Amino acid sequence: MLDLIPAALTLLADAGYGLASCRLSRRGHRWPRRRAACLLAGSLCVAVALLPPVASHDYLFPVHVVQHLLLGMAAPAFLALSAPVTLALRTLPRRMRRALLRGLHSPVITVLAAPATAVTLDLGGLYALYLTGLYQAAEGDSLIHAAVHLHMFLAGCLLSWALIGIDPVRRRPGTRMRLAALVIAAAGHDTLAKLMYAWTLPAGGGPATARQQGAGLMYYGGTAIDVALAVIVMTQWYLATGRALARSRRRPAAAEP
Amino acid sequence: MGRPGLAHPAACGAGVAVAAEMTTSRLARAAGDGAGKQTRRTIWSGVLAGLGLAAFADETVFHQLLHWHHFYDKSTLAVGLVSDGLFHAGGFIAMVAGLFLLADTLRRGGFVPKRWWAALLLGAGGFQLYDGIVQHKLLGLHQIRYHVTLWPYDLTWNLIAVVLIAAGAALMTGRAGIAGSAMFRSDADTAA
Repeated sequence: MLDLIPAALTLLADAGYGLASCRLSRRGHRWPRRRAACLLAGSLCVAVALLPPVASHDYLFPVHVVQHLLLGMAAPAFLALSAPVTLALRTLPRRMRRALLRGLHSPVITVLAAPATAVTLDLGGLYALYLTGLYQAAEGDSLIHAAVHLHMFLAGCLLSWALIGIDPVRRRPGTRMRLAALVIAAAGHDTLAKLMYAWTLPAGGGPATARQQGAGLMYYGGTAIDVALAVIVMTQWYLATGRALARSRRRPAAAEP
Repeated sequence: MGRPGLAHPAACGAGVAVAAEMTTSRLARAAGDGAGKQTRRTIWSGVLAGLGLAAFADETVFHQLLHWHHFYDKSTLAVGLVSDGLFHAGGFIAMVAGLFLLADTLRRGGFVPKRWWAALLLGAGGFQLYDGIVQHKLLGLHQIRYHVTLWPYDLTWNLIAVVLIAAGAALMTGRAGIAGSAMFRSDADTAA
């Protein structure tokens, strides 16, 4: 039963998102299709990671790494680009919207959403999982297993929102800060993969060849996703500076009679 | 964005930073603040793209195609892996950031081709030299090739780095040749 909870929650969240965007369009506002497409892609990543055949074979270490890439990196990135908080703020009843805003502006969320916190939680979780006995413990206990997946997903979400999120938060980090956070997160991920390769970790990851295969997959798969994240950060910067440039070019023309 | 946040101190080498600083301040005095900012952006774009290019070439040619370098060899220390991870990640992110900065200077009509190529050479040479001296030798990360006499490879590797840096420095300190960049002029000139 525990296995089906994430899939059910994902379906529920998607249904809520769909209802909200329909409500918005009934009011005459268009909710961008690409955001909805990002939500679907993110949900698909979660579903593939946590349903069979991937979930039923995740005792094989390379399969676990695929799960890790989907659940902790790809899905959060897509979900951050789907702007669910923005949609909620635009469609929730006034009282709930106020509560959501209060929550978003609370010190706890502000600290959690800071890039430094997100990078620390994300990398900290991964280093603990693969370099200590945690992976082995999770293989033997379904509750720890679920907790590891939950942490991987939530920490990935924090990091993705800090890097490429388009939802309104207090103190959104600037482009340089986000690139620096991405370099540290990506370098930490690559280094961990090589350490695992070097020391044939994690314990409980099956035969040495499987562990090294998994580490290689983690290295190159992680790099691919991190390149995509860098492209997204810079695209957001390019579009934002482009809008500012267009404004500054329009202004002198508008001042003339 | 004057200095993108990729400031691993060894990333571009002090020489690159100093050369960039000298050129930009001179050009800034000569042509007003806007042009100086554009030149600075051009140079940063070139340095970042050069770093990325060298890292990418190293990864594809020597690791993937020739299989000369090893993904990991048993003698590597943890500190070497951290340095390698930082340069692997920093390299491709530098490439992406450099290309977007290039698109931006083209869009603003402030692209200075000669400075960009100079900066590209400096960035690539700086990475090559760091890789050859610090990563291969001091940190013992991996060697250029295995089961061969190593020193000719090391010498060639570092000589190429020095040539790249020297060519970049020569281009950087020569005349900017902005007039030659007419093909890259954009609507910014007519707007200004």
